[in-house]
Amino acid sequence: MLSVVLTVIQRDLLLAFRRRADLMNPVLFYVIVATLFPLGVSPDVEFLGRLAPGLVWVTTLLAALISMESIFRQDFDDGSIEQLFLSPHPFSMLVFGKVAAHWLITGVPMLVIVPLMALLLHLPVQAIPVLWATILLGTPILSLVGAIGAALTSGFRGGGILLGLLVLPLYVPVLIFASSAVSASVDGLAVSGHLAMLGAGLILALVLAPFAIGASLKISMS
Amino acid sequence: MPIQEPRVLKAQDLKCSRGGTELFSDLGFSVVSGESLVVKGGNGSGKTSLLRILCGFNHPAEGKVTWCSQSIYGHDEYRQQVSYVGHQSGVKPDLTVLENLVFMQRLAGASSQESEIKEAVRFVGLFRQRNMMTGKLSAGQKRRLALAKLQLQQRIVWVLDEPLTALDKEFIGEFEQVLKNHLDNHGILVVTTHRELKIPEYRVKRVNLSPSC
Repeated sequence: MLSVVLTVIQRDLLLAFRRRADLMNPVLFYVIVATLFPLGVSPDVEFLGRLAPGLVWVTTLLAALISMESIFRQDFDDGSIEQLFLSPHPFSMLVFGKVAAHWLITGVPMLVIVPLMALLLHLPVQAIPVLWATILLGTPILSLVGAIGAALTSGFRGGGILLGLLVLPLYVPVLIFASSAVSASVDGLAVSGHLAMLGAGLILALVLAPFAIGASLKISMS
Repeated sequence: MPIQEPRVLKAQDLKCSRGGTELFSDLGFSVVSGESLVVKGGNGSGKTSLLRILCGFNHPAEGKVTWCSQSIYGHDEYRQQVSYVGHQSGVKPDLTVLENLVFMQRLAGASSQESEIKEAVRFVGLFRQRNMMTGKLSAGQKRRLALAKLQLQQRIVWVLDEPLTALDKEFIGEFEQVLKNHLDNHGILVVTTHRELKIPEYRVKRVNLSPSC
């Protein structure tokens, strides 16, 4: 079972590596926001430091949403989704492999770049490990939940707007708990409660989302 | 191919609609091991829809499809016995010919050796292109690659939607022999085609789709 999930991950990573431009999109989005925001609003250090937790997380959320639309699109276009369906392995495990690959492609670069972005936005240094932890816990939830919406909207053209409408309300709890954790850390308050909620959300998403994604893809295929 | 007892793919009272238009209704047939079902009909008559129903991708509006007397929906054993080649070849343009087949085989749960995969690539005439990105292949070559998968996976039910499209005459002859061998090995073939296949007549059942057949 694990080997087939790893096969899907390996295939999707190889495909992403061969389309490097797509790979860079979330990172570029991050860098652009971090660079332009102080220019457009205010370069004031204290002001930026106060906004940084929410700003970083809104950017994370939008970057995840932008990348989400394409997660199953090519599989529908080239007919490989049908081949996955006819695999003897559980469909939900195969799509879990696809989501895991998507997180490695989009979430991991965010993990790498977020400390730099935090520094650019003058987030206090003591809050950076907490910010990093929220990205580590939160981005897989965004990938798993977003994939449900992407699976439902992949069957037809112009599903991008519908995807946003479907998924954004489900992203809000992640945004609230993650940015609150970072803000609490800036203020020197305890963050374990927020992180525990994100952890619980991640476990819930890991357990339930693959089945929901599989069922949604079957609906889109028919 | 280790197939012993006869298997039966049966459809009863099938009805299919698309966009509010009825494509076909009261459609029934049964195909047993060693037989083929050739589906014919004009454009938009529901050939592809029928094939997708038989694969379990779509549900019919009415009627049922059974495999050895069990509904095909939620029937894992049936799903594991179907190979489908549709209008889209199911190959990734950013993978090479060999990579595509290796990943297809792994995902299909088949344990093909590299030598078997290379042999299949050689058979479909793509050995020289084996390390070429699939996106650079012609339509006919992509079709050949999709057909190579059939031979490697060795499943019982082959569902093929216009498999001869874009293939040249020489390869069509070789491919027809592959289809005959599959039937000789007690396989089942469901195929849509605008061209007559050279398969012994006693092994062919036909369905002609026309509006409200």
